[in-house]
Amino acid sequence: MALAGLGLVREFGVSTVAVDGVDVELRAGEFLTIFGPNGAGKTTLLALLSGRLRPTRGSVSVMGVPMDFGATAWRSRIGIVSHQSMLYAHLTAAENLAFFGRLFGLDSLRDRALAALDGVGLADRADVPVRSLSHGMRQRVALARALLHDPDVVFLDEPYTGLDPHAAGVLRGVLMALRDGRRTVVMVTHQLAQGLEMSSRLAIQVRGRFAWTGARSQVDGSGFEAFYHDVVEAA
Amino acid sequence: MTYLTQVYAIVWKDLLVEVRTRERLAAMGAFAVLAGVLFNFAMDWTAVRPQDVASGLIWMTLVFGGLLGLGRTFHLEAQDGAFLGVLTSPTPKDAVFLGKTLANFVLLFVVALLVLGVFAVFLGLGLGPHPGTLVLSLGLGALGFVALGTLFSAVSSGTHMGETLLPILVFPLLVPVVIYGVSATSRLLAGRPLTEVEGNLRMLAAFALVAVAAGAGLFRFVVEE
Repeated sequence: MALAGLGLVREFGVSTVAVDGVDVELRAGEFLTIFGPNGAGKTTLLALLSGRLRPTRGSVSVMGVPMDFGATAWRSRIGIVSHQSMLYAHLTAAENLAFFGRLFGLDSLRDRALAALDGVGLADRADVPVRSLSHGMRQRVALARALLHDPDVVFLDEPYTGLDPHAAGVLRGVLMALRDGRRTVVMVTHQLAQGLEMSSRLAIQVRGRFAWTGARSQVDGSGFEAFYHDVVEAA
Repeated sequence: MTYLTQVYAIVWKDLLVEVRTRERLAAMGAFAVLAGVLFNFAMDWTAVRPQDVASGLIWMTLVFGGLLGLGRTFHLEAQDGAFLGVLTSPTPKDAVFLGKTLANFVLLFVVALLVLGVFAVFLGLGLGPHPGTLVLSLGLGALGFVALGTLFSAVSSGTHMGETLLPILVFPLLVPVVIYGVSATSRLLAGRPLTEVEGNLRMLAAFALVAVAAGAGLFRFVVEE
């Protein structure tokens, strides 16, 4: 398995269970999109799968390597994009990528940074401070940062948040390129259409649990919104 | 080698961001100059010799000015989740701490030199027969100070009180640095022999070593959720 999260539970305090016994198993090349209403625990689940949070119970492994918070090597196998850019506003796009490249132990940093920016259509903005870029451009730089070290598993947390239709369209094109058959992707989004068109697998999370999971081929694209509402209300 | 590269990357990034924003240096530097000006007018220099009171004033300026800057250590990190990118990289948390501590040390050391310069100009303070040792004592004290300040800045940045909490947490722990630092500085300014300050310098070095080691060991418990 490229990504395996088994029996994941995350509690906050004594009364809040954000993730309540979720299992996720993905093979290399699979693209899972997790839908769900606000407060369903989707972002918490993604944080557990990507090692940003420790699970209260359960375990996660990436490419067969168990997540050990005392170790760091497994972090090189994953890339994370969230609705926050995770970039330094006062550094240029290329400086940001060079900085994160150093943290990942990469070499030829300038060349790698330019190649990564070229991959998201921003090579001409390499030397522009991130604070001068639009939100959509920052998201594309964030994606370049997440892919800089060629991770096996990519996590996307609401990547379309705050983007105008044009910027969302550009980002969509970049994300579509992630479906290369090698990389495993987990995305959390409220955008049903974008999630449907990219994914090979789908899940609907409600109140910390998967209320429904299945392959993309199991659902009818035109009737998915109604199906989604039925699942959420029934859960 | 990768570990040192990661530490270097953090130092490079922090200093580059500081050069671009001048957010912390400006605050600390302005405080140092203001303190020098105020003390110049507050004291009757015909009744008090500068070297008799300068060590306390220097360390007070350094500690209060330093806290202005240290309190902002994680301010820019929080913007747009930038620090999350660092924490989710394969960089060991102690390397992150060492990088941020070294960057803070460079900034505070610059401020320490500025404080010496300001007091030399405004108070007519001579630096004594061992200016190198004087700078060393300030450097050792600054290292212990920034190690504690960086750790507790991370603690306070995660609370509702933010920067207000930092002095409350740090001041009690800074007592040894201030005692040995003031003692060493006053003897050096008075022109006493180096043998009289060796003990203080050793204590400052030991404190700095313990503070850096403790900070490196504890940092991950502060930043990991």
